[in-house]
Formats: sequence, structure tokens, C-alpha cells
Amino acid sequence: MRMIHRFAFRRACLWAALGLASVGTLVAFGRLNATRPHLVYLTGWFLLGLMLYLTAFNARKKLPFLPLIPARIWLQLHLYVGLFTGLVFLLHLRWQWPQGWFEATLALMFGGVTLSGVFGWWLSRTLPRRLTTAGGEVPYERIPVIRRSLQLQAEKLVLGGILPANASTLADFYVARLADFFSRPANFQAHLVGSQRPLNQLLGQIAEIDRFINASEKKTVAELNELVRQKDMLDFHRAVQLTMKGWLFVHIPLTYGLLVFSVAHVVIIYSFSGGAR
Amino acid sequence: MSTPASSLGRPRRWDAAFSDDMTDADVVRLLTLAPFRDMNPESFPGSAPLREVLRNDTRLRRFKKGEIIVREGDYGNSAFMVVAGAGQVVIAPGLPPSAVGRRESKRRGLFRSIAQLWTNPDEPEVLPKSARQGLATTKGKGGKDEIHIILQDIPAVLNKHRTASLEAGAFFGEIAALSRIPRTATIYARDEGTELLEVRWQGLRDLMKYDPKLRAYIDRIYRERALSTALSEIPFMKHLPEEAQQKVAAATQFETYGDYEWSGKFKDMAKSGAPAAKEQVVAAEEDYPNSVVIVRTGFARVTQRYGDGHRTLNYLGAGQVYGFEEIAHNWRNPDDPVTLQYTLRVMGYTHILVIPAAVIEEFVLPSMPERDLPPRRAKAEGTRSPFAPPAAVPIAKRPDAADGSPIGPALMEFLTQNRLFNGTEAMLINLDRCTRCDDCVRACAATHDNNPRFLRHGPIHENLMVAQACMHCTDPVCMIGCPTGAIHRDSFGGQVVVNPSTCIGCTACANNCPYGNIRMVETRDDDGEILVAGDAKPILKATKCDLCVDQKGGPACVRACPHDALQRLNLNTLDELADWLRR
Repeated sequence: MRMIHRFAFRRACLWAALGLASVGTLVAFGRLNATRPHLVYLTGWFLLGLMLYLTAFNARKKLPFLPLIPARIWLQLHLYVGLFTGLVFLLHLRWQWPQGWFEATLALMFGGVTLSGVFGWWLSRTLPRRLTTAGGEVPYERIPVIRRSLQLQAEKLVLGGILPANASTLADFYVARLADFFSRPANFQAHLVGSQRPLNQLLGQIAEIDRFINASEKKTVAELNELVRQKDMLDFHRAVQLTMKGWLFVHIPLTYGLLVFSVAHVVIIYSFSGGAR
Repeated sequence: MSTPASSLGRPRRWDAAFSDDMTDADVVRLLTLAPFRDMNPESFPGSAPLREVLRNDTRLRRFKKGEIIVREGDYGNSAFMVVAGAGQVVIAPGLPPSAVGRRESKRRGLFRSIAQLWTNPDEPEVLPKSARQGLATTKGKGGKDEIHIILQDIPAVLNKHRTASLEAGAFFGEIAALSRIPRTATIYARDEGTELLEVRWQGLRDLMKYDPKLRAYIDRIYRERALSTALSEIPFMKHLPEEAQQKVAAATQFETYGDYEWSGKFKDMAKSGAPAAKEQVVAAEEDYPNSVVIVRTGFARVTQRYGDGHRTLNYLGAGQVYGFEEIAHNWRNPDDPVTLQYTLRVMGYTHILVIPAAVIEEFVLPSMPERDLPPRRAKAEGTRSPFAPPAAVPIAKRPDAADGSPIGPALMEFLTQNRLFNGTEAMLINLDRCTRCDDCVRACAATHDNNPRFLRHGPIHENLMVAQACMHCTDPVCMIGCPTGAIHRDSFGGQVVVNPSTCIGCTACANNCPYGNIRMVETRDDDGEILVAGDAKPILKATKCDLCVDQKGGPACVRACPHDALQRLNLNTLDELADWLRR
């Protein structure tokens, strides 16, 4: 029993189960397809059942107080059953693109749900490691508060440096280059692909003004550099965490849309089947 | 913005007495009995006079013949004194669980579980009327924490189990009350109508504090009883004949290190970043091994000199042994003796047993089969270079920490430096798997009236976060200062839980918790208005993780995590952690 707790073993078991189920389904479909002309009804109901099961994962999340199957097991089943559902979907379509805008929309929605799910799966396995590697841990809800705090610190630092230096070089630079950076989330796309380019550009610009500032301002610049790095790290956490949360805003609405379309599809099919089943 | 609700009296220590049934006559009667009649009331302070301690922190209970008074394994926060009749303690072997009526505590039914969907209040920290001050539940006669189990077939028990009588005037239950550990034996009433005085922990603390005689008496019996229990649990004592065991027991010393209330010092040390070298040393590396040390309660750190500092190799919990391997080596190789290979330092409040090497050599080692003797050791290596590879497997190292273990020196240091080994249900999060979805937090809130009872935040080592959730510690120092016993161990599972009915919001537990896992909250009424006391200040209550004791299925946080990133682990030993990390 302990073995099942090992991720590699669990993964191997689940892939093997998926493979067996897929092969079994393909064989069964191949045999039945020749003898049963209305097999599409069977695959359709099977597909709807699988989709309802997959949607039930969201309902399970809403009932944490019930001794249901732990979410970790449910998610594993959700992932692999989701892949299997893709195969059943293709069998239901008989490997052909559907005709008519309604069926095409339905197929596109199914594809969207499946692909967004696979994409979310990949994100959930890759992005957490990037956060861990980057270091620091920021609850998403706290990010605006921390950003505001960094902004205030930077402004205080720059304003406080004007009188001792008797110059506004740094303040002018802050207004021109850094005010916007500190006031809102920045460089979302760069953070998502792990690029350090915007940060290095900004630090380079700060280094550029080194020639024009006096000794007291240089100390302020060193502290400002540190705040810029902290803000950049905060933006990185925001970009990654937002992406990890954001994909669900595609996956879940599409799922509910798909279910509504699927029910309509069933009603339409049975309305116009004319006793073919 | 909420406005203050109607004002209530500020909760005080004795608003909820241990029992409402204690009368003036009972107190007067107690004051005629030893040891209370010999106590000097003047030595008690005005804030805790002897009479009030007896009235509010004690209760008189009567037991039928054979009725169980305390059960082995239960957690208890009180001690007992036999007033009339006698108790019978079952020494060995312990009674089976069924004989003592052991059953799991009550959890919510299916309907009440589902009903949380619509019954959870919209406002945070709503305190139900039944839990507000003045309506606190009392635990008098028939109180819910009393056990009414009659032991069946007492003659058979007397035949099969070694027992001893506790006559009038004797105290018992002090080990569990003082050490914050489970009851070590089952005790039942020997005579019909046995009358006992039950003293809750807070009262016992005050009585011992202000009466030196009682303190000396309790200390003595505590040492005697704890010693006999502890020695019987040591593996190498199993082979010893009864007579030799008694000789070993007679030579064994019982030592206590550290402060009973160690939390404050630990917090100061953590703030200042004090190294391991600041901790009290029990035995030092390269000293001659002249005794075996066994940790009775608390924890000790095994360190080895490393460059100019000390590296933590392991920590020892209750029942673990230090120094035995060196003594065994020297006994087998008198011409090639070794010194102690590691240093043992205590952390927190630690009881240890010390058995002299001469006694071990005379009685224990000759009785042990060759296969059970520890392997011979290499000589001490002297001061290690910081660039040298990790030390050889330490004597105290458990199998899980052997070479190849996922628990390396840095993680070991992290666990010990933060004293996380104290946790029996520490919440660990693998940050490499955690998508920060907060499903765990939402699940916690859904099972606690919409109030999450932990923070997904806490100390981090590499990809491992120990979240700020109550760890249900082996040594729950949070319980030390509680004046009402509101924070207590569940008598069945041992979880540390807070009773909101008796919590007076004094913040003692929150301040004592070394890990910051208890939060004080402002309470509200059903309309969401903040409850305030007569002094116009809000009424606070302590809140913390209760491991979902009343929920079906256990901790909701673990069951809610879809990414297998969160687990509750016992860090007293490294087994569970090592298994979890190896996945």
C-alpha cells in the first residue's frame, strides 16, 4: 500500500490503466461499430456520463466536510478520466469533424475544455517549482498591500534624498522611469516566460544615472535598487500565481457551457431522431 | 463596519468553576483534611486564596465500586486525591481498550455536516449564544467529561494484572497533569462510594506553588511513578530479571532540565538567532561515557562539533537512549575504549533518566543476547573540519535518518532550530506541488463556521513549508498559562482544543505558543456585531486548528488538497516525514 504513495509508481499505474481502458474501448468500438448502427447513442450517453463525473470534481470541492474521496485522489482520476473522455469523444464523432454550427461549437467547446485542462495540468506541475526556486512566499491577496508598501518606501526614499543632496536628479528619474513601475503590476509576460530582461533594463537605467549623482544620492540608489528587485520579485509572484489561478476561469466556465450545450444536443438529437434509435 | 453589541461582563478566571456543586461546607471540610489543614492560607496571594482555589479548581466526586476513575492513554488535565475509600491502579499489563469502554469521540452526523453549507454564519467569528460568557457549560455531577464505566469482573482483573491500592490521602494523576502526557495507568474505585477530590491543573499548580510540602510530596511521587513506568519501556531492560530491574531502578537518577515554561526563552533565542551551543548540555562529546541517558519527556538535541560550531545530527524524543553504544563498546573492548561521540543538549522542558555505566555493565549488558548488542564503534575523530563529509551515522540516529535519507543536515537543523519536532500533527506543504489555490484554507473555513483556523504561511526550508497551523504538540506549552483550562487535550484523541465557553480571552495560550499558531479574535453575535465587555473592550477568544475533531473524515485541509501537496505529519520521529519526502 505504501508503494502507491510514490508518485512515479502512481503515475505508472494510472497511465497503464488509461492505456488498457483506451485499448479496450477501441477494440470494443471496432467490434460493435460493425454490428450496431446506432452505436453513436451509446457512445453519446457514455460521454455525457463521463463529463458529469468530471464536473462533479468541482462539486466535491464545495463539500470539504463530507468524508468523500480525498481531493488528491479525485484529481488524479479527473486527469486520467479526462484524457480517456477525449478518446470517447473522438469515437462519438467517428473521427470526423461535425457538421453544422451547433455541433461544431459543441466540439470546439469540448476541445477547449480538454486543452485548457491539459494546459492547467501542465501549469500546476511546472509553475509551483518556479515559485519555490525564486524564493519568498507571498499570499496572493497580500500582493497589493505589499506593492503599496514598496511604493511608499521608494517614494519616501527618493523624496528624503532631495534635501541632503540638494538636487532632484534622482527624484526626476523616479518620476520618469520608476513611478509607473512601483504603482502597478509590471512585466507580466516577461515573468511568465522567466525573462529577466525588464529587470536588467531597469537596473541598467538606474546604473546609468550613477554618473550624474553625488555621494549621498549613491546611497539612496543602492537602497532603491533593492526595492526595485523586491518589486520585481513581487511582480513575478503575481504573474505566476495569477496564471495558476487564471486558467480555471477558462476551464470552468467552458465546462458549464459545454454541459448546457450537451444537454441541448441530447434534446435536439432525440427530437429529430425520428425513431432511428 | 460593525458596531459593538450589548456589553457583557469581562470573563474572569473563575467565572466557570471546575464544578458548580462545590459548597462552602465542602471547602470547610476539605480544610480539615490533610494536606490542606496543614497549609498556611497566608502564603497564598490575594488573587488566588486557598479557599477560592479549593472552591473553584477542585470538585468532589464519588465512584461506585469498580468504576473507572482514569484510563490509561487518556489525556487529563487534573490530578486526584483519595478522600475516602480507595483507588486501585492497574500497573501491568494494561487493561484492553474494550475493558475500559474506549470509544471514539462524537462527530457530526451526515445531515449536520451537510447543513454547514447553509448554517455557517456570514460574519466572521460569530460566537453562538451557548458559548458566550455566563452560559459556560459546567462540569459538575454528570458533566460531559466524566467517565462512567464500571470495570467488569474485578477478580479476574486482580488475577491477571498487577495492581496496587491508593488509600485515603494519596494523590494520583499528577504525571498526566504535570507532564501534559497521557495517563500512564488505569485506576478504578476499589470500594463502594470512593470519594475523590479532583484538582484541575491550574489549581494543582497554585497549591504546589504556595505550599512547599505539597510540592515536595507531589515531586516525590511523580518521580517514583514516572521512573517505574519509564524503565519498563526501555528496550534493553526487557531481558533483565525482576531483581536486576529493581537494582537498576534503584541506581537510576531522575533529572529535569529546562524551564517548565520554555516558550518565552525559545522565542528570545529564536529572535537573537542563538546557536545550539547556548542550550543546556547533558553530556558532552569526547567526555568519558559514564552513564546512559534516556529521554523521559521533552526533547534533546544530538550535536557534533563541526568547524567552530555544532551541527545537529538528530533529536531524541521520549524513550530514546543516548550513550548506550559507547558504554557497550567499552564493555566489550576494555583495551580500546571510546569517548562519547556526540553532545546531548536539552531543548525546552525535558525529563531524563540517568543510569550509571557501572550498573549497565553489571546488570544490563551481560543479560543481552549478542545480536541485540550495538555494533562496535570507531574512535572519536576529534574536531571535524567544516569541509569534511558528514559524520558517521550517529548512535542515536534512527533507521529513517540513515544514509540516503531525504532528511539532510540542513533540514535537521531547520526542524530543531524551530523546534518543530514538538508537533504531532504539523502541517507540511510541499511548495513544489502547491499551486497556492487555497483549497485547504477554504476547506478549513467551511468546517469552522467560515473562519479558517490556520495561515498558509510559515517557516520555509527549500520546498518545504511548515504552515502556521496548530501542531498539537507533544509538549503543548500553550496549555501552561490557561487559567480556566479552556485549552485542553481531547480525552480520546489527545488533540489540543479550545473550549470557547470557558476561554476568557486572556491571550496566555497565544503568547505561550512558540510557533504563533494560536490567534486571538474579536467575537461577534449572530447579527455580526462585535461583542464587548463591560469595560467597552471587545471580547476575545483563542482560536486554532482543532484537527476537525467534530468532522467526519478528519482534517479537511488534507482531504481538500488536490495536488497532494499538504500533509499533517508527526515530527516527533522522522519516519513519517522521511516517507513523505521520499514520494
